[in-house]
Amino acid sequence: MRKHALAFLFLLGAVLPAAAAAPRELAIGAGEQVWFQEDHTVPMVAVSIALPAGSVYDPKNKAGLAAFAAYMFNEGAGNIRSEAYQGELANRAIQLSLSPNRDHFVLTVTALSSQIKDALRLVGLALQQPRMDADAVERVRAQMLQSIAQDASDPSAVAANRFYRLYFADHPYAHPVNGDAVGIAAITAADLKAFARGHWVRGGVRIAAAGDIGAGTLTALLKAAFDPLPATAPVAPPPVVHAGAPGETIVAMPVPQPTAIFGLPGLKRDDPDFLAAYVANYIVGGGGFASRLTTEVRAKRGLTYGISTELSDFQGGGLVLGQVATRQESMAQSLAVIRDVLADYAAHGPTAQELADAKTYLTGSYPLAFSSNAGIAAQLGAFQRAGLPLAYVARRNSLIAALTLDQVRRAAARLYDPRRMTVAIGGSIAVAATGHEPPRKPAAHN
Amino acid sequence: MVAFLCAAAVSAQAAAPAVAQFTLANGLKVIVIPDHRAPVVTQMIWYKVGSMDDPPGHSGLAHFFEHMMFRGTKAEPGDAFTATLARNGGDTNAFTTEDYTAFYEQIARDRLRLAMTLEADRMAHLDLSDVSVRTERDVVLEERRMRVDNSPQALAAEQVEAALYLSHPYGRPVIGWPQEVRRLGRAEAQAFYDRHYAPNNAILVIAGDVTPEAVKADAAATLGRVPARPVEPRVIYAEPTRLGETRLAIAHPDAAVPSFSRTWRVPSYVSAKPGQAEALEVLAALLGQDSTSLLYRRLVVEQKLAADAGASYDGDARDSGSFSIYASPRPGVTLAVLERAVDAVLKQCAATPPAAADLAHIKIQLVAGDVFRRDSQMAMATAYGQALAIGLSVADVQAWPRRIQAVGAATVRAAAQGLDRRNAVTLYLTPGPA
Repeated sequence: MRKHALAFLFLLGAVLPAAAAAPRELAIGAGEQVWFQEDHTVPMVAVSIALPAGSVYDPKNKAGLAAFAAYMFNEGAGNIRSEAYQGELANRAIQLSLSPNRDHFVLTVTALSSQIKDALRLVGLALQQPRMDADAVERVRAQMLQSIAQDASDPSAVAANRFYRLYFADHPYAHPVNGDAVGIAAITAADLKAFARGHWVRGGVRIAAAGDIGAGTLTALLKAAFDPLPATAPVAPPPVVHAGAPGETIVAMPVPQPTAIFGLPGLKRDDPDFLAAYVANYIVGGGGFASRLTTEVRAKRGLTYGISTELSDFQGGGLVLGQVATRQESMAQSLAVIRDVLADYAAHGPTAQELADAKTYLTGSYPLAFSSNAGIAAQLGAFQRAGLPLAYVARRNSLIAALTLDQVRRAAARLYDPRRMTVAIGGSIAVAATGHEPPRKPAAHN
Repeated sequence: MVAFLCAAAVSAQAAAPAVAQFTLANGLKVIVIPDHRAPVVTQMIWYKVGSMDDPPGHSGLAHFFEHMMFRGTKAEPGDAFTATLARNGGDTNAFTTEDYTAFYEQIARDRLRLAMTLEADRMAHLDLSDVSVRTERDVVLEERRMRVDNSPQALAAEQVEAALYLSHPYGRPVIGWPQEVRRLGRAEAQAFYDRHYAPNNAILVIAGDVTPEAVKADAAATLGRVPARPVEPRVIYAEPTRLGETRLAIAHPDAAVPSFSRTWRVPSYVSAKPGQAEALEVLAALLGQDSTSLLYRRLVVEQKLAADAGASYDGDARDSGSFSIYASPRPGVTLAVLERAVDAVLKQCAATPPAAADLAHIKIQLVAGDVFRRDSQMAMATAYGQALAIGLSVADVQAWPRRIQAVGAATVRAAAQGLDRRNAVTLYLTPGPA
């Protein structure tokens, strides 16, 4: 195992620090952080832009404002109305993806290198002068309301929405990113404009770019797009103090397969144990086919198609988030198996072999993330949003390789105590005919 | 502007990577797509067997068997296949369609030989046990519940597919009817393996930091050693002429938002006359690719009848392809009103060829998609592997941008005129008691 890890570290050295293929920092202004990796193999450029404009900044009575503003991004800017703006993008084959989440609005721009200049001009115009025209606002409102209505019959969306509400209680992370019908109905064009002015700003913006463009050209294009924006940054989200509501809640729905979302208090990205926790999570639930939970719940018992856990490092606090979907009569058994696996893991942690295998996977698969311009922009952007320095890109594998069994065991013990687990189930559950053990906590129907 | 953009797109296309192809002595076809940007490779192995080859009464067998390929061999028992790859920094998964079953690994270039060795082992030495078959069948039923049974849209789409074919097995869901999946056992899986899994029925695609010479040597020493076996030819189906339109009205309590769709059986890239599939591709993009397309502009923006509307063409199939249009109404608009508005747009497409500027713009977008694909090893490997698995060639994939550029306005109108409602299934999905 150790031999493999060393081989990968060598390989990583071959990918990253080579002169042509290492990401570098570009200076475009005081507020912005820009990382760039140049490569001229494929004539296109990918740019990931994270604005401090996530749903955590939604006003209490206008849940969904940040997402609504994000979806309005390509609905007209400056003198260009919605249809014309979208035509300008489409006619140049410029692709925009608009992804609001709890902390950020992540905007991804993909363009042929011959079109990147116009792409960043159009993006800049939308950031600086969004129109928020009435007909476009109503169109997007109708789409958001329809999507909210559809989510109400989707067990995984229902479970996730209930989970966040239970886990975060009064914190603004508690409501869905896309808001609720009442909030969406109450939002006005003036609200959208004000939100964009306050959150589509230079302060705190993070930009990661990769592909077929020179650093000088890219710097000039980004300066033109971002310089006119306010330098102010919004106040950071409040810390998460409420850490879940241990127990099970069922939102009854007549679906064949209920989904359970389960979570435990996690670690903030700057916690010294975070990387150990990341490795610990890979072993128990993050490693696809190789994880303990997949082995026990799927491979041995055939209870589910998918089970996984991940570490969510929200700015205000960390969270271990898990998901499992299974037939009505197997949900109780599945949750019991999950609790047993987690309890054992919290008590004993991984074996030395599991840790060695996790290290070779996590370090060995790292270069896969750097095999395309789109992948590089996404990976660099994820590191930026986690608040990591550029040097982390090259150091990351050696930090993982250096983790000790004690560190990972300590992280597992900190995270996976099932008694602290909040569980929300979308869908109805039934008692298994064969009499499996019942859930440990009484279930609250509502 | 348009002329400049076309020139840019065309020159990008001229720089397409050199793709090597050869066949090993045992009949395994190999495609190599070099990309030296990162020291990693994507390996895909495509078997020319899909759900259309499921035996009668056992729908879902091809997909179920794909799952069984991860359940161990004598040399790599249990989950050793995935565990060994993971220990070596590799990711792996697989997918099944009507026409083919594809398996892939993404891994550091110096582990490619290992990935080939593991694929060679499970091509010939799968160890199917009753216990693993039973457990995996439960997993597949859970997958079906997640993907289909929980979703009124997916259930309705499955019924539309079934109604679209009078005879062809494309009408059966890839994941299988649940009543038939429950019947799948070890004997069916073993017979399916023996009949279809052989090097002479497969295509190996390697994209990434490799040379064709090195791939040839490694493949010959691993997958090249699996003996060829006689493979029965696939059944050739003839879909009879349909005499009338099919309409489906499905009510489902969880269909919170009503929707309208129409799906036509049309020629695929394999079965179409020259230029016909490309014209359908262009027509679908003009009609409903995004918010600048005709259906969205007319129904959502101008008439305000729909919340969303779009169209798509799936021509990547061994037999027929499908062309579909969907729309969801704004509150208070009936599906009948929405359908009339869709029909008016279709009628216009059949009457008038697209404007030259619109046609030029849509071609820029389609051809740019070919450049964006070259950014991804997986997308490139998929494009070539899929083409070969359904009966197209490397040259077909490389000629695609040129063939799209060659589509004329009159051909697009002819494609619209060819959308015959007797070959279509119209769906109204509404909320209501089942």
